[in-house]
Amino acid sequence: MHSPNVPVGLAIALRFITLVASLGLVAPVQGGEDAQSILATSDEVRNPPRPFAVTVRLLEYRNSKLSDENTLTVYSKADNASGQYRTLVRFVAPERDANKLMLKNGNDLWFYDPSSQASIRLSPQQRLLGQASNGDVVTVNLAKDYKAELLAEEDTADGERVMRRAYKLGLSAVSGDVTYHRVEMWVDAATSRPLKARFFSESGHLLKSAYYRKYQAQLGRERPTEVVIIDGLDPSWVTVLRYSDYAWRDVPDAWLQRDYLPRFKPG
Amino acid sequence: MTMRKIIAALAVALGFSLPTQAATDAPAGPPDDLDALSLADKAPSNSAAPARPWRLFLEGAIGRGKLRASGDNFSLYRGSIDFRYDEHVAQQLRLVFSDRLDGVASDGVPPGDNVNTLREAYLSWARAEDQIFDLGRVNIRNGAAMGFNPTDWFKANALRSIVDPDPAVLRENRQGTVVLQAQQLWSNASLTATVSPRLARSADSATFALNAGATNPSNRYLVAGSYKLSDKFTPQVLVFGGNDDPFQVGLNLSGLVGDAVVAFGEFSAGKGRSLVAQALNQPEANSNQQRASVGLTYTTGFNLSLTAEAEYNSAAPNGDQWNLLPAASQQQVLVTAQALQDLPTRSQWFLYASWQDALVQRLEVSGFLRQDMQTSSRALWLEGRYAWERAELALQWLAYAGSSGTVYYAVPQQHALQLILRIYL
Repeated sequence: MHSPNVPVGLAIALRFITLVASLGLVAPVQGGEDAQSILATSDEVRNPPRPFAVTVRLLEYRNSKLSDENTLTVYSKADNASGQYRTLVRFVAPERDANKLMLKNGNDLWFYDPSSQASIRLSPQQRLLGQASNGDVVTVNLAKDYKAELLAEEDTADGERVMRRAYKLGLSAVSGDVTYHRVEMWVDAATSRPLKARFFSESGHLLKSAYYRKYQAQLGRERPTEVVIIDGLDPSWVTVLRYSDYAWRDVPDAWLQRDYLPRFKPG
Repeated sequence: MTMRKIIAALAVALGFSLPTQAATDAPAGPPDDLDALSLADKAPSNSAAPARPWRLFLEGAIGRGKLRASGDNFSLYRGSIDFRYDEHVAQQLRLVFSDRLDGVASDGVPPGDNVNTLREAYLSWARAEDQIFDLGRVNIRNGAAMGFNPTDWFKANALRSIVDPDPAVLRENRQGTVVLQAQQLWSNASLTATVSPRLARSADSATFALNAGATNPSNRYLVAGSYKLSDKFTPQVLVFGGNDDPFQVGLNLSGLVGDAVVAFGEFSAGKGRSLVAQALNQPEANSNQQRASVGLTYTTGFNLSLTAEAEYNSAAPNGDQWNLLPAASQQQVLVTAQALQDLPTRSQWFLYASWQDALVQRLEVSGFLRQDMQTSSRALWLEGRYAWERAELALQWLAYAGSSGTVYYAVPQQHALQLILRIYL
């Protein structure tokens, strides 16, 4: 799709770049880089090392118009055994969804509505379709679920449109339980910051692209406070995730199970 | 785009390193990505207000329908106030209060009435993060199934006012049970013990009655425990009983089948009287009874969730037993099944569909079909609901179909259409 917002000259330049890249004139891959370590270090930039809470505001655009808005609070904690994040998502706004909860513990997914006191198991497909699938994008420990391969070291523009020297990593799922079967990720070679990523389905379809941007000092280091997500099938569907109110927050293991959901009431 | 920028972009593509500043306006990706980033640059920066501890909405409905027996049309007008409060009133003390007032004017069957339902009013004390006690009226709800919940024992006589046949709404709009309850949690398990005392013997239909006799008619207990065996499997075992209720055991299971299917099963077993004996107040010795719901929920790639559930109740009449009942007794069995929220005949299919963002964003289309397998009759419900930021508009259609003498033919209404407006304050 070619939006009228894109200057024609820029589009021409982009086509030029694509052509040049296809001729193999991109920077060669540096030898000896450990792709898995690059990915692990990049995970550390996104994922605080201790349990924490963060407020996520989701602004959803369709055809350049703001079409929906949600606010969630995410409570997250890494599992000692798997290293993967377990999250409790509490819906804050809009009013009709306020105080509903979603628990994600691997593929153990539960939705809780305080009005009906019902805890309903969700399939990964249901989560993927809802906005909650975007809510936990920030806490995915990719290095635990994917085998990384260094595809290139190249200059790429980040989410602020600033050129950065980056490692382009190809990630292949090592477990069948992951949401995205293949990921391409660009990691800043100097700072290990994730710059952007593309997430693919098992059949190879692009599900979404994500730009990690607006880095700020949060919980001990510079972390992205905004992620721009573009739907793979419908690029006019854009979701902006804004992260605020980062705070260290103890998340006891007992919270992270279905039977605690009716009890969850953060003070 | 200036020539300098084009050159800069080309230089980048060729692997030359330029100073960051010089490339500030360089492309970030395909044109669609650039659009998205520009959109994000302009996104509003104000933050949402924190969630309120209370929720209040007003609801108004108008409806028309047709009665089966007389063939007359009837009308329905309803106004409702729905309030829920949930907040910490002290460090480890939480107060939950939930109430709904329905004012209904109708010349149909049943006629309109004004009914207040005190759904919940309880204090919850967290002695520790993993040890919690509740005291007061609590809506205790168990069950993995969607249309019929054999292990949801406290559902009996909990509905004071039925304004919507959607199972999720029936669970929400019911009256809780006064209990003393304790829950102990571990990292992979939970155990809950509940005692529900006898407070009154009979229900009270006065508008603002607390109606304790409906949901606290005898001394009862419930113990529920769950253990997480794996990420995909957390079974729950329950036992229930009381002075007037024989010992029952229940089991709830749910698990994933692939990425898009959830399978669930809910079972209960114990002594009890048949539904016909309860409805017609006939003397009958308790005998072994079993109830079950098993089903699958499949979610498509376009946000449509489909549930198929097979339901069984050994205490309910089969087709032959139903056909032997006089019409008035059939009505009585149906009314009793509705009050107990039990299955009216031995077996049914329940099919439920929910399509979010159906064709247009914020429009949810949902519906169910209850197919009675004993007498070949059915109940069909369809709803379209559109949501704005603080309002919802819904159109509902409900129909009962079947030949004379069948279960759903016995329902007084033949069909009804309702328009509902909800406003959140």
